[in-house]
Amino acid sequence: MSCGEHHDVDCGEILQRVYVFIDNELEDASSDEIRQHLEECAPCLDEYDLERCVKKLVHRSCGSDHAPDALRQKILLRLTQIQVETTITTTD
Amino acid sequence: MNMMATRVAPERSTGKSPVFSITMPTPTTTETPEQRTARFEREALPFLDQMYAAAMRMTRNPSDAEDLVQDTFAKAYSSFHQFTPGTNLKAWLYRILTNTFINGYRKRQRQPTQSPTEEIEDWQLTAAESHTPGGLKSAEAVALEHLPDSDIKSALQSIPEDFRLAVYLADVEGFAYKEIAEIMGTPVGTVMSRLHRGRRQLRDLLGDYARDRGLIPADDESTDASAPDDSTDATASVSSTGGDAEKEES
Repeated sequence: MSCGEHHDVDCGEILQRVYVFIDNELEDASSDEIRQHLEECAPCLDEYDLERCVKKLVHRSCGSDHAPDALRQKILLRLTQIQVETTITTTD
Repeated sequence: MNMMATRVAPERSTGKSPVFSITMPTPTTTETPEQRTARFEREALPFLDQMYAAAMRMTRNPSDAEDLVQDTFAKAYSSFHQFTPGTNLKAWLYRILTNTFINGYRKRQRQPTQSPTEEIEDWQLTAAESHTPGGLKSAEAVALEHLPDSDIKSALQSIPEDFRLAVYLADVEGFAYKEIAEIMGTPVGTVMSRLHRGRRQLRDLLGDYARDRGLIPADDESTDASAPDDSTDATASVSSTGGDAEKEES
């Protein structure tokens, strides 16, 4: 669990929280603790790099699909249909 | 060990203001149907590509993804008069997408139930929270960067759905935990747990892919554990036979 070096906060505890740190969702004091730990602990820094790398890869690779043009046309057609239906029911 | 003990920035997790809100009659109800359609096309339709990409990761096939996106936009359009202008339209659309998927498409796809994966005990997760002594992890990060996009997509698509959604919303869309909680209709703690577990599984899968592609030596963990020089011969023979056997199986 520990790297054998002494740290203010144990490596295991840091690694439990490092993903929240990467997501920028930790409060300042907690982030400072992690930053300080990463400065003095190379193995935890590697874990941090790996975790950040996975996040970056998902961002790079998983959201770039383009919707087919036909889909856009189908949606526009459907909106028109709904609009017509609503107009008819409200004027009835 | 205790996820809830993690100190999350208060302004992002406990704030009372909703990410998006649905109110009853708003001034926009005075607009004509044509004006509303135009406004919807102008404001909501630009999210089409994003919705489609998310739907692809959810349904894992283009035909279901198209149907899901169509249904999502139809529902969003029908209730667009309830959306409060100026609040987060993207999060609102994602909520409709997620609900539509969970309520309809998940059943249609007849996947084996994946909930038991979420039952992983905390101690199992904690047991994984240790680092290896060497610098192998940094080499692994470099190797993962060489994986093709298709591998990352395939890995994301093979983790349990709830984990996949949380990871997608956080990492692809960059939503805050609080926003993901509203989109998925779960507490922030659940979102965090899903993210933690999902990323853990993703990381292991990507490591496997990188090993399969020869980007990482197949036996880096074992060589790392037995560092002394005199074990080199034994380790080398294990790696050549063990590595090949693994590849043939997969």
